[in-house]
Amino acid sequence: MSKRILVIEDTENNRRILNDLLTNAGFEVLEAVDGEKGIAMAAEVRPDLILMDIQLPVVDGYEATRRIKANPELRHIPIIAVTSYALSGDDAKALAAGCDGYFAKPFSPRVILAKVREFLG
Amino acid sequence: MELTQADAGAIYSYDSSRDAFELAGTHALAPSFQDAVRTIRIKLDESALGLSAKQRQPICFPDLSTAPNYPLRDLTLSAGFHSVLIVPLLGPEEVLGALVLQRRSIGDFPASTIGLMRTFADQSVLAMNNARLFREVEEKGRELAVANEHKSQFFANMSHELRTPLNGILGFAELLLDGLYGALPEKALEIVGRMQRDGKHLLGLINDVLDISKIEAGQLSLSFEEYSLQGLVEAVITSTGVLAQTKGIELKAVISPDLPVGYGDERRLTQVLLNIVANAIKFTDTGSVEVHASAIGDHFVIAVRDTGPGIPAADHDRIFEDFQQIDNSITRQKGGTGLGLSIARRLLAAHGGRIDLRSTPGTGSTFTIFLPVRAEDRRQAA
Repeated sequence: MSKRILVIEDTENNRRILNDLLTNAGFEVLEAVDGEKGIAMAAEVRPDLILMDIQLPVVDGYEATRRIKANPELRHIPIIAVTSYALSGDDAKALAAGCDGYFAKPFSPRVILAKVREFLG
Repeated sequence: MELTQADAGAIYSYDSSRDAFELAGTHALAPSFQDAVRTIRIKLDESALGLSAKQRQPICFPDLSTAPNYPLRDLTLSAGFHSVLIVPLLGPEEVLGALVLQRRSIGDFPASTIGLMRTFADQSVLAMNNARLFREVEEKGRELAVANEHKSQFFANMSHELRTPLNGILGFAELLLDGLYGALPEKALEIVGRMQRDGKHLLGLINDVLDISKIEAGQLSLSFEEYSLQGLVEAVITSTGVLAQTKGIELKAVISPDLPVGYGDERRLTQVLLNIVANAIKFTDTGSVEVHASAIGDHFVIAVRDTGPGIPAADHDRIFEDFQQIDNSITRQKGGTGLGLSIARRLLAAHGGRIDLRSTPGTGSTFTIFLPVRAEDRRQAA
């Protein structure tokens, strides 16, 4: 069975890029458009990995990460932050919130794919 | 006070927004008298202070008990003062306040005292004006600081807003080039490649503008740590090696043995050297680019020598400014944002360092970085 990746991202084009990239690479992709829906979906579908946008409506990516990592049953799911908020210290903030990796936008799909494969072996 | 032969005195300032004279300073007046004065509303139209200001003349009351019932009359009499001299403090157009002299005895004030008080009033007006100007400058400074903060927040937001659509452009371009949406004809591949290069150029501009605005706003936080200059130079040589090879230029580093351990923001210093070495390679078509790293006293000296076309003396200062290359057509030929050297200069300044240029057209250029081995950790870029 193919591994499942949850993409939490509010920008449609970015969801599409990640979906096309990862589906093409043989992963099953699920999508959520805000932090709250992302948290609910993570609990419901138990994905193998989460790609988390930081600037999200309702609940931002830092908070969503904290809540997912606070759930003992979800804690093991790797979360990779993807943000276009290019202020210094964002990477540190993402890691402090519990993210396992970090990418600044604009990201290179090739680089994201390599990172995802690294986590999902 | 001794010169005026008065027993007591006070300075009142006039607040036009409240239409009230307020006690600003006193001499030999009992605290109870001062407290009592502060409970009285002294308006411009209904007071001896106001009358003197409107007439733009000193007013003397040789016997206060015969004066009209001005707001301070009875209070002054009950405090034991019987004659009063009021000298207005006047700006070019506005009433600033008044000086008041009080004596226990009845009688006129001598002309010499009135003259002295007028001189003193003129000096006071100057001092009050200076104080007001000083307050205004301070206020403007605060307003500017707030505006600057807004500006840098604006740039941070703008950077975010610009990156989001750029992510779509660059992301789809890469997927297209990788054949994710099917094989593209040769010609289309080339065009998508051009779009991708322009997109990356735009991203470079956004990043550079953000860097500059952060440095300008004093918000660029540097992370100081120990670093190896040799490691830093070697990393830069490694990442620019392909570029030099493609152009058929020799690229080499001459690093003094036993360099001391440096202290500074390694990532930012790498950015500086990377920019200068990449520039040297970009502008050199034949010959070599050499990086010489050594330590002299408590400074690192890093010289980047190229055999490129050189830079006319008239342009030496200009190329370190924002968006300046010798010729704007160069941007199109050679790429680059025109902000790299300007950022390099600022980043070095934040480390207490600087960059010099020596160049003669036709014989190449040497950019020399002088950098304190242990930079002072000021936490913010200057």
